[in-house]
Amino acid sequence: MAGALNLLLWRMPQMAITLVLLSLAAWFSIGLMPGDPVSLAMISDPRLTPADIERLRALHGLDQSLIARYLAWAGGVLRGEFGYSRLFAQPVWRVLWPALLSTLALVGTAVLLAAGLGIALGALAALRPRAAPVVDGLALLAQAVPSFWLGILLIILFAVRLGWLPAGGAPDAGHSALPFLVLPVATIAFGQMAGYARHAAAALSAELSRPHITSARARGAGERRLLWHHALPNAAVPLLTLLALDAGALVSGALVTETVFARPGMGKLLYDAVMGNDYNLALLALLLVALVTMLATLLADLAQRWIDPRIGER
Amino acid sequence: MRHLLAVLLALLLFTLPAAAQAPRDSLVIGLSQYPSNFHPNIENMAAKAYILGFALHPVTAYDAEWKQSCIACTRLPSLENGDAVLETTPDGKPGIRVTWQLRPDWKWGDGTPVTPEDFRFAWEAGRAFETGLGPAEFYRSAYRFESAGPHSITLHFDKVTFDYAGLGQFQPLPARIERPIWEADRANYRTRSAYETDTTNAALYNGPYRIAAVQPGAGVTLERNPHWGGPAPAFNRIQLRTVENNAALEAQLLAGQIDMVAGELGLPLEQATALQRRTGGRFRFHYNPGLTYEHIDLNLENPVLADRRVRQALLHAADRAQIVARLFGGQQEVAHGGVHPRDAGFDPGIPQYPFDPARARALLDEAGWTSGAGGLRRNAAGETLSFDFMTTAGNRTREQVQQILAGMWKTIGVDARIRNEPPRVFFAETVSKRRYGGAAMFAWVSSPENVPRTILHSDEIATAARNWSGQNYTGYKDAEVDRLIEALPLELDANKRRPLWAGLQRRVATDLPSLPLWHRSDAHVWPQWLDGVTPTGHQNYSSLWVTQWRVR
Amino acid sequence: MTRLHLGLALLLLLLLAAVAAPWAQAWLGTDPFAPDLFARYAGPSPDHPLGADELGRDLLLRLLYGAQVSLGVGLAAALAASVLGTALGLLAAWRGGWVDAVLMRLADGLLALPALPILVLLAAMDPAKLGLPRGEAATDMLRIVAILVIFGWVGVARLARAGALSLLATDYIRAARALGVTEARLLWRHVLPGLAAPVAVACALAVAGAILTESVLSFLGLGIQPPSPSWGNMLANAQEAVFEAPLAALWPGLAILLAVAGCALVADGVARRGR
Repeated sequence: MAGALNLLLWRMPQMAITLVLLSLAAWFSIGLMPGDPVSLAMISDPRLTPADIERLRALHGLDQSLIARYLAWAGGVLRGEFGYSRLFAQPVWRVLWPALLSTLALVGTAVLLAAGLGIALGALAALRPRAAPVVDGLALLAQAVPSFWLGILLIILFAVRLGWLPAGGAPDAGHSALPFLVLPVATIAFGQMAGYARHAAAALSAELSRPHITSARARGAGERRLLWHHALPNAAVPLLTLLALDAGALVSGALVTETVFARPGMGKLLYDAVMGNDYNLALLALLLVALVTMLATLLADLAQRWIDPRIGER
Repeated sequence: MRHLLAVLLALLLFTLPAAAQAPRDSLVIGLSQYPSNFHPNIENMAAKAYILGFALHPVTAYDAEWKQSCIACTRLPSLENGDAVLETTPDGKPGIRVTWQLRPDWKWGDGTPVTPEDFRFAWEAGRAFETGLGPAEFYRSAYRFESAGPHSITLHFDKVTFDYAGLGQFQPLPARIERPIWEADRANYRTRSAYETDTTNAALYNGPYRIAAVQPGAGVTLERNPHWGGPAPAFNRIQLRTVENNAALEAQLLAGQIDMVAGELGLPLEQATALQRRTGGRFRFHYNPGLTYEHIDLNLENPVLADRRVRQALLHAADRAQIVARLFGGQQEVAHGGVHPRDAGFDPGIPQYPFDPARARALLDEAGWTSGAGGLRRNAAGETLSFDFMTTAGNRTREQVQQILAGMWKTIGVDARIRNEPPRVFFAETVSKRRYGGAAMFAWVSSPENVPRTILHSDEIATAARNWSGQNYTGYKDAEVDRLIEALPLELDANKRRPLWAGLQRRVATDLPSLPLWHRSDAHVWPQWLDGVTPTGHQNYSSLWVTQWRVR
Repeated sequence: MTRLHLGLALLLLLLLAAVAAPWAQAWLGTDPFAPDLFARYAGPSPDHPLGADELGRDLLLRLLYGAQVSLGVGLAAALAASVLGTALGLLAAWRGGWVDAVLMRLADGLLALPALPILVLLAAMDPAKLGLPRGEAATDMLRIVAILVIFGWVGVARLARAGALSLLATDYIRAARALGVTEARLLWRHVLPGLAAPVAVACALAVAGAILTESVLSFLGLGIQPPSPSWGNMLANAQEAVFEAPLAALWPGLAILLAVAGCALVADGVARRGR
């Protein structure tokens, strides 16, 4: 337990520093991008006079330097004022929260499904050598298919041709969200499955040939029991790491799937915020996604220690 | 594992949406954009204008015939009927006083009437610069507000223009709700307004529908406004769903999740014509000519393009009719200039540039660009006839047209180098600061009889000294054009305006500071059972007339 | 063994196809860069063996030219990331101390970052502000390669560092040091070769990742700009018209699939051989 506490004490400041550096880097890269809110305002109202534009700049604080604006923003964040989204005219949290929930539902389901299926396939490959090439091929395919392509193929087949599932979008209030999750979840899960299948197959076949398993087998333990009670717990460590990395990366990486299926979510929101020069929204979304990623990794590390206390010191 | 799958499958089968078997009291509309805010007087944006068209009525609007008409007034003001009176402003300029008589049954969604106070507040908030409502010019010009009764409002303008009868996007705001919010914090009104914080409040809406639910980024649900005094609309509920990816929008239409695609914010024309070919009679398609003018601005500071003969040759060598026929299924019109053929100001005698590669070659020869090695033309100094050709990256239609045009120009020995940028970079930096080296393809969206002052007047050339304001991105300078543009808005007699319009168009079509391509058509896709939708082709969208929509 | 060979054969085939593009063009006699409005979405024919795209250009030839861009981006990004990653990983392992700490914290930080939004951010940055010409195909490729390297080196560096640490701790290296072998020679002759296998695996996977990422960036409109074809932008263009011409989306998708599968097979093969 002391190890876990140590890990937390060591990681927390590290995460904080990463977040600060990230926010700085993001602020300046958005600043480096052409076009500011005032030039966007000029496009929507061509009759603005040069004097209007001057005043607008002052109003938006654009007459100040990037760093001064960053400090003002950071001060606000430290006081708990996250500001308003320029794009949606809403407090950023009100925009972010539903998007985060929607993405977590999508990614959470997909990652769990991918891990479940992948591990099952990996176990199959490890236990039945004859199935191994099939599993291998499937994993190869899953890894190689561009996800937006797969998404569109699924839409054509299941929504347009067969009409079984909605082609995308979100359910109306009071309707079940489940049908709307199936295709996007399948799209993400299929791609992610490959990693789990390969790792599980490799780890399990390595575990299954270790002496303690062989001796257990000699004592007459069933294959299924061997797998569940002996091999899987030991193979779980790398799989957990993979799970954590996936979960984090996917929160923002769902962008493509969210676009193809017209689902509102973090990926789409972040993209729009960056493209729409919405500093407050883009920064907070980016930091939130980074935080989720880092927390997922932290959780995986903690879980590893719990499963395998030997990892303790590095 | 097997059990889990069975449960999942069962859940799926029982929760599938019952596909449109109920009596048709609701309509689902697909849109390609989500509105970034819901305040009617802040920032004009297509998705917002379409959605608010169901829920908020302006006083006046252009109708399907592109004529100014009353929506919430009882008669259109004119000098003849005495509702508009020419006067002199306090500082001695010619001005005009215009009075609108409001419909007496006009109510907000909570049953309270729309009053002149609501207009007074909207006008005051619009004039406060720190509040930042647009358009700035309207509020600057409307210097005094009065009311002579519960259903009458009067504005004094310090400028007389022929379109004085219209109130444009100026709309009343419920003062009871909005004024206290505005007075508490004027600078942050745009985010504190009830339209953003309490969007589903019925008291904010005065049209046939009100916004009943909002799913950020995904859709808006409209329900009937119980206090609506006009003819009852056909649907109890209208769902607007935003699908930004074109293929996904088409998929949702084919899967029956959406009933129709709004033409104003819908499928690209070439996708719609292809869809029509494939689906036969399943949907009704309507291609409506609109006021979106697709063109190529030429940078007149580029020595190659500064020569008028080169610009004319480029247009002669571009087979626009062929592109329209092949790419757009023949469903939109080749443009001869910025004024739409249906517009009151259109001049049929405008110089035209039919596809004529021989003429194009002759013009280039005459301009000193002769055929050289590699098929490219060179001038006496040995420079090749070549320029950058830019447009918005990611807009598939434009990218296709661009590549076709570059191919056509190559056949007459002109090298157009394609260089594209994301829209945000392209518009906010490259075009508006006139940093495109050669040609820039994009569209202007205008309204009927819109005087192209910001695009063609020499005072509107964007420069650093002017903070890059102005939309004359070509750098076009012509004294006669300036004079016509200044005279046009002041001429109140439509018949006397006609020669001015004609002169302007002929002059510009001869000089060709930009190459006209076509006026875009909107592709409306309706279910067979829907009737009465009347597309307008301008920024007063079909949703304003939703009470005429009927189930067949 | 067979995996490695199969993968290498696949990649070699694709590379040959890329190189053969001009000859194929001469043989077919059509210009894959000249639009032909009369052949939009034409089906397969002797003139167009795989059909034509949305502008009537030959799909086969565009696939071949696209292979030059896609494989070029993939290989360049993967090689650059591998070289940089190996160098930094080796440096961290060899120097240790604060160099190691700084490099590895940087790597941790980059790993913790959400990659896609940052890719979007970088892709949308204005190259002109960095003194590069905007919109040129070469700038596009360079930009995408640079972006991929920024994230790509981390994985390689970690692998290289771990491998180098364990190699540097072996008795063999200690003995070599004791014999007075110079540090440079030690690293070059004795440590680096030991890293070859894991780095090769990472590199092969990075090629695959780069090709997929390029297609995603193209899908978002931030990839290689027309008129240069890449598999990514061909696929992204075709997906919009997927109902109209499903075949146009099939071919580039298949090409990406084959290339990625080839890389994965190579990676797998090398890894198994190392075991």
